[in-house]
Amino acid sequence: MGIFSYLRSTILSKVVMAVTGAILVLYLIIHTAGNLLIYFGRDTLNSYSAFLHSLGPILWIFRVVLIVSVVLHIITSIKLKFENWNAKPTGYALKHYLKARFSSRTMIWTGIMIFAFVLYHLLHFTFRVTNPQHYSAEFFQMHNAVSTVILERFDVYKMVVLGFKNPLISLVYIVGVIIVGFHLDHAIQSMFQTLGFNEKHYFPTLQNLSTILSIIIVICLISIPISIMSGLVGGEI
Amino acid sequence: MKVTLHIWRQKNAKAKGRFETYHLDDVIEDMSFLEMLDVLNERLILEGKEPVAFEHDCREGICGACSLTINGIPHGHEPATTTCQLHMRKFKDGDEIWIEPFRARAFPIIKDLVVDRSAFDRIIQAGGFISVNAGQAPEANSIIVPKDDAETAMDAAQCIGCGACVAACPNASAMLFVAAKVAHFAYLPQGQPERKRRVLAMVEQMQKEGFGNCTNFYECEAACPKQISVSFIALMNRDYLKATCSGEKHLLQTQQV
Amino acid sequence: MILDGKVPSGRIEEKWDRHRFEMKLVSPANKLKYKIIVVGTGLAGASASASLAELGYNVEVFTFHDSPRRAHSIAAQGGINAAKNYPNDGDSIWRLFYDTVKGGDFRAREANVYRLAQVSNSIIDQCVAQGVPFAREYSGYLSNRSFGGAQLSRTFYARSQTGQQLLLGAYSSMMRQVGLKKIKLHTRKEMLDLVVIDGIARGIVTRDLLSGKIESHWGDAVVLATGGYSNVFFLSTNAQVCNVTATYRAYKRGAFFANPCFTQIHPTCIPQSGEHQSKLTLMSESLRNDGRVWVPINPGDKRRPNDIPENERDYFLERMYPGYGNLAPRDIASRAAKRVCDEGRGVGLTGNAVYLDFADAIKRLGREVIEERYGNLFEMYERITGENPYETPMMIYPAPHYTMGGLWVDYNLMSNLPGLFVIGEANFSDHGANRLGASALMQGLADGYFILPYTIGHFFATTKLDKVNTDKVEFKKAEEEVTSRIKKLMSINGKKTPTQFHRELGKVMWDYCGMSRNEQGLKKALEIVPQIREEFWSNLTIVGEEGDLNIVLEKALRVADFLEFAELILWDALERDESCGGHFREEHQYPDGEAKRNDEKFAHVAAWEFTGDGNKPIRHIEPLVFEYVPLTVRSYK
Repeated sequence: MGIFSYLRSTILSKVVMAVTGAILVLYLIIHTAGNLLIYFGRDTLNSYSAFLHSLGPILWIFRVVLIVSVVLHIITSIKLKFENWNAKPTGYALKHYLKARFSSRTMIWTGIMIFAFVLYHLLHFTFRVTNPQHYSAEFFQMHNAVSTVILERFDVYKMVVLGFKNPLISLVYIVGVIIVGFHLDHAIQSMFQTLGFNEKHYFPTLQNLSTILSIIIVICLISIPISIMSGLVGGEI
Repeated sequence: MKVTLHIWRQKNAKAKGRFETYHLDDVIEDMSFLEMLDVLNERLILEGKEPVAFEHDCREGICGACSLTINGIPHGHEPATTTCQLHMRKFKDGDEIWIEPFRARAFPIIKDLVVDRSAFDRIIQAGGFISVNAGQAPEANSIIVPKDDAETAMDAAQCIGCGACVAACPNASAMLFVAAKVAHFAYLPQGQPERKRRVLAMVEQMQKEGFGNCTNFYECEAACPKQISVSFIALMNRDYLKATCSGEKHLLQTQQV
Repeated sequence: MILDGKVPSGRIEEKWDRHRFEMKLVSPANKLKYKIIVVGTGLAGASASASLAELGYNVEVFTFHDSPRRAHSIAAQGGINAAKNYPNDGDSIWRLFYDTVKGGDFRAREANVYRLAQVSNSIIDQCVAQGVPFAREYSGYLSNRSFGGAQLSRTFYARSQTGQQLLLGAYSSMMRQVGLKKIKLHTRKEMLDLVVIDGIARGIVTRDLLSGKIESHWGDAVVLATGGYSNVFFLSTNAQVCNVTATYRAYKRGAFFANPCFTQIHPTCIPQSGEHQSKLTLMSESLRNDGRVWVPINPGDKRRPNDIPENERDYFLERMYPGYGNLAPRDIASRAAKRVCDEGRGVGLTGNAVYLDFADAIKRLGREVIEERYGNLFEMYERITGENPYETPMMIYPAPHYTMGGLWVDYNLMSNLPGLFVIGEANFSDHGANRLGASALMQGLADGYFILPYTIGHFFATTKLDKVNTDKVEFKKAEEEVTSRIKKLMSINGKKTPTQFHRELGKVMWDYCGMSRNEQGLKKALEIVPQIREEFWSNLTIVGEEGDLNIVLEKALRVADFLEFAELILWDALERDESCGGHFREEHQYPDGEAKRNDEKFAHVAAWEFTGDGNKPIRHIEPLVFEYVPLTVRSYK
């Protein structure tokens, strides 16, 4: 089994869930911050994108880490879920939850939905399969001390705007992001618990912060399609 | 007061169970929940029917024998209260009450509401102790334990081994039970020499028994009649990681006698 | 017959050390050849099993619970005594010994009590090493508190769950040995008979509570740690399944039953609220450290307690026993409560309750301190009664709680049947006619950790034991008897449940043989009990099957033995024509109502021998000699 031998241990499995989850959350925070650059205009967003592409092998290191995290996160969660179903073959005729949040009880389902959403999201914006017509290049002038050159770069700004002007795409995105938010609401505080950071005097605060962070991420992300649809951003395209 | 009871009846481990409905008209508010069931059982016996098998013993909330999932909550809705200490004044006249056994694969049903919780004993057997023989102990006050640590250890050690944590957990995880014992010893200087070995051995046995994984629902803490905190699970996770990283072996040393 | 307690010679301080030296040893290799049966997994049983297995013996331990940790020792709240003298208040082994002998009203064997005091300190050491989270001071050192019947602080405690923590300590040590395969653990198996071969106890017959299977188990010695019989009163603070069957069956096989009438009534229990009640709940005696006990001065005063002015309250314990006040020993406090209730001054719905008031303590120490000390007890009280003890005084009333009587054992904890050892509450040895608070845990663990492991070796080293197995005719015969008893019970097909009979028996015992007894009442009870028993055997109903988990049959078997055993208590109470400790004969009291002992005639242990069903048992005597604690009137004034 090699690398997957951790799956034999319930706690190590949970630790893998927490660590890979933490990586994905960190990525999501950076991704969200990057996306917000759309509010600083076309040039800012596109040059940020170009900067990322210029990283080359470094970008690939990030990508590999992300892909590995996603794969481990999914495999582990499936294994845990099957074990859990097996451990409780019969439920109660009547069940009252005292503390388990809705978001906690639906992790596997929000997880599956997020997986589908992310696949679509990648096909749309990264692999540009679903809406190839949104893709175009942008020509821009670059000045330095001696000369001015005209360069070509990918027009992310335009792609995003065109995409989100489509109400259906925006709706899918908004719903997807809200589901991500639900997932995070449980996930972030859970990560601290699993990794052993829970003392009575700070954990309730940490749980609240977890929810607040989830909400902030959701608001930041869904503000983009809403701004575009309402014409606040990207009206010029 | 009057109540309607829907009670899970199951002849034995293999038989198929089902709910049966009983009406009780003469329930008194001062009765405990189990005394209410006693009344039902006495009636059933006199009618020549088998009484409802349920476990109970001390009836003062400490032995951990009583169980029952009452209206979907192990030990019922009253916080920090075992079934035997739950009183009928906490119910209303005309209430319908659903009574089910604790459910988990690791707690197979024996009969009606009686389940087999011996998995807990085997977990303790695997490492829930300090290996000290009678006679070996040093003078008691030579071991100093800061008051706060002793109190926290006691918070954990209060566990009555009833299994409500497992019953409440949607995954039937026993992490709170195991963590309570691990934490009890982890907070005491006496528990340090075997700290790593203990957590590894107990967690391994827990897994062998077929309990589910902890997914941090915290239902266990909410259902625990002794209000044992899930922060002890965090402590156990930490200890387990440390022990794993240090390459600790947890096999019980067979002791030479 | 005059029984010999086999007390070693020499000065009392030297007896145990000398005896330990004089006892024969079993070599480590030979220990592996012996198998010991231990019945019961409370403090005594669990600690004995663990210690014996640690020494190398093979142990088979039996509990009728689903887990050894459910044993009723777990419910002990208050604490455990030891002569550590940590508080520097003048305690010593001698003083603990003295207090216990005096507290037992001079009906215990001096040498046993001294030994108990001697090993008390080792128990605390052992428990601390096991990780028992005793209460601590801020310095990190162990904390002590005072307890009923003592004028100093020698009680170690873990909140109000001392019994739980000590039992879990012993249980964990025992489970460690189960893991090491030195102990074979049998759960859900109830001992229904003792098997005696050639005069030596060699095994037991059990019923598997799940399958109903009757099984035999042999051993080279049998250790009974099966607790007390307070449930003969039906309502007691004991757990529901506590019963007398194991010790009573041993009695029927020839073991002598000593002082069965020495039962203890605990003063601080929650009063009965109705007929449905299945048990009485004890509130730790430690409550009496800060609570003040009172009733209205005027009989029939129905005002709410907070409306009764100070000058119309009678703090009767403080008035009657100024030296000890609210901390007077259990039997004395219980009887005082009964007396004021009999005068019509009792409170509550039934008039059978007195107040335990914390208002002064809350005023003096603040609510936080009281909450820290008794928080969980207060919560428990509120859960059960629906009243908040921070605001209205608690109501308490005495309830049967502990039985000092038990199978007779010698200094080695062996009964008159060789090979049958009896430890903990199941034996009679250390508490005389009254047990002091926090001494039960001490005795259970002393027997299990530090006494039996030595004395049982001496028995093996000095006794030639034949090889036996469960095919022996004695085992088969005992199995048959058990089976036919069950068959007989199952076939009565009457109209009353075991619980109904139990309740009837309990009422008779409480009315005529409870807190106070008299000749007339005891004789009357001796007429009623056989009638109940007769009806039991002709009008009992049991539903369900033999070969199944059958809670009615389990209960019927226990009640059947209680119905026989009750008579033994009554005989003992009748023949002990004196008052002492928990045994209060109304004919023998001082003008102020205190118990009046008759040392000339009764300074002895009464040990009863079974002589066949329907026959009056024979009363044997073990004289008690008090060389070190002079016989005095036990006064707590």
